Amino acid sequence: MVEITVDGKKITVPHGINLIEAARLAGGFIPHYCYHSKLSVAGNCRMCLVEIEKVPKLQVACNTTVRDGMVFYTNNDRVKRAREQVLEFILVNHPLDCPVCDQAGECKLQEFYMQYDLRESRFRESKSHKPKVVDLGPRVVLDMERCILCTRCVRFCREIAKSDELCVSERGSRNKLTTYPGKALENAYSTNVVDICPVGALTSKDFRFKRRVWFLKKEKSICPGCARGCNIEIHHHDNKIFRLVPRTNEEVNQCWMCDEGRDTYKPVLAQNRLRSPMGFEAGQRTQFSSTEIMPRIQNALSGIAGIDGKSIVGIGSAQATNEDNYALKKFLEITFKSKNLLYHKNESDHPTHDNFLICADKNPNTNGIEALDFVKINTNKKFQAFFILGNLPEEAIKKIALEKKRVVIMLATHDDEDSKWPDFVIPTTTFAESTGTFMNIQRRVQKISPALISPGESRSAWEFFSDLSTYFGKENPIYHSAEAVFQDIVEEHLCYQGLTYKSLGETGKVCP
Amino acid sequence: MILKFSKNSKTKIDEILERYPNKQAATLPVLFIAQREFGHLSREAMEAVAKILETSYAHVYGVATFYTLYNKKPVGKYHVQICGNLSCSIMGGENIQEYLKKKLKLNFGETTQDGKFTLSSVECLASCGTGPAMQINEAYYEKLTPEKVDEILNSLK
Repeated sequence: MVEITVDGKKITVPHGINLIEAARLAGGFIPHYCYHSKLSVAGNCRMCLVEIEKVPKLQVACNTTVRDGMVFYTNNDRVKRAREQVLEFILVNHPLDCPVCDQAGECKLQEFYMQYDLRESRFRESKSHKPKVVDLGPRVVLDMERCILCTRCVRFCREIAKSDELCVSERGSRNKLTTYPGKALENAYSTNVVDICPVGALTSKDFRFKRRVWFLKKEKSICPGCARGCNIEIHHHDNKIFRLVPRTNEEVNQCWMCDEGRDTYKPVLAQNRLRSPMGFEAGQRTQFSSTEIMPRIQNALSGIAGIDGKSIVGIGSAQATNEDNYALKKFLEITFKSKNLLYHKNESDHPTHDNFLICADKNPNTNGIEALDFVKINTNKKFQAFFILGNLPEEAIKKIALEKKRVVIMLATHDDEDSKWPDFVIPTTTFAESTGTFMNIQRRVQKISPALISPGESRSAWEFFSDLSTYFGKENPIYHSAEAVFQDIVEEHLCYQGLTYKSLGETGKVCP
Repeated sequence: MILKFSKNSKTKIDEILERYPNKQAATLPVLFIAQREFGHLSREAMEAVAKILETSYAHVYGVATFYTLYNKKPVGKYHVQICGNLSCSIMGGENIQEYLKKKLKLNFGETTQDGKFTLSSVECLASCGTGPAMQINEAYYEKLTPEKVDEILNSLK
């Protein structure tokens, strides 16, 4: 630890950190463009100049480490003047695209100009022209005129994605960010360069021109794309999701997420979302209301001769939250005294995976559902009544179903081939409409929260089971919140000991 | 097309690599060897260099395009590079530039039809005390006069 003085404030900070981080610890902020805490120091934007006592010239804070007794100023007149001049140079060639630029509203050039410069341009010469709308790869578009050449993206590709696809070519006023001619920016993490671009040079093809950022509301959640459980923010407006962006969790995803994960919101907005319960009336697939469907489910179940707990099974889903799965478990246990708990998960023969974030297990909650004592579908037992969470093809239960008479109740999100066959289909929520928790690959329990109002009559599985058990007249716990479900999980499962819904916080807690 | 370095160049590259802490650090000298061997730094030449240095194409491309001393386009057998900076100009360099243009019937950046000469205007050749100066391939010619230029060009076969 070393003692330093930042703007007159004495503070003890860890040895070896740079002045930007030190100022942050002192509660201050040094504006910067090229510096990023997860990337190597480039020191090229010159925005973070500070005055250090006994050093004649201003120094870049990003590339200066703290020394014991160091006294520096981040906001005195000399520093302010230098910052204005640096900004003036950066803005010399910057186009006035703001009205049509996606970055507007979250642009560091706009922000720092308002905070630190706020002068009229003195530049009367013509601006240098460079390529616009450059197709860098499947997900990223470059506007070279907006680029301030901070090289964050170049360093990201080199140091984090390890693909080294980007470079700055030529020099001086001809400097251009580019991939090697003929090659695309197509690493599995490419959209992160859009997030770390401090200006509007790199934009996401998926998000471009879709919505001004100041309209977006932000909900903290977890990416359901794989077992990593990257912490994300769902950016939404008008009950539609516009993008998923990573949220910092040093223990899970640092501040990155993969491109595949960014697409996980698309099924949420699909046209074929289930909106109302479905059943069969005289052989015809028919819509029912939530209240109409209850007696029909009860009739169908009592129509099976000799039905008891042994012939009823719950099939949970590694895609669903702990709360949804637990509610299913509890419902079967109390209503039918059934302890038959199986689960299904998304599997592909050649799942993408790497040593960084992307896991081969494409389910957000495999650890969670196993902790709730569900076992993977693989049994010789035969069942007659099925409660299934999530869309599942009929083949998946062929081996475990009695052929004669069976009843299948499925809680599905989408109206597709896998939800056309069950006797009853109840519309349920996706991750973006649910409250609850997932347990990731590190056994970290993390909260998701709803960004959208779910379509039609769809609702969380735990709500449905709570209602259904009331209908069956059993003394089931009736849940009014996911938090209450979680509390029951904690009480019943040793591995959750000591956790509360609140204590999970924004970044989750690891189960022993 | 995959370009291959000659045995001679390979030995040189190996010698150079020994002097650097890692392979990527040798990008500049290895690019020069490639330029000597293949005449100019085509994409294929850059890719060959990247492979030898076990680095990315993008890195080599960034370095090669940064330096004007690397020819990214084919040049003639003799690459005539005349200094266009201050010291040479004061010593009559502008006249020599015009003389070369007229004599070779070329503008800067062009190559004769027979592929013998390419004429370029370059920045300071670090020969300010002996201007006007020019460089043909890797040889220096100093204190130029039109007569001397005639003599030099005639000597090049």
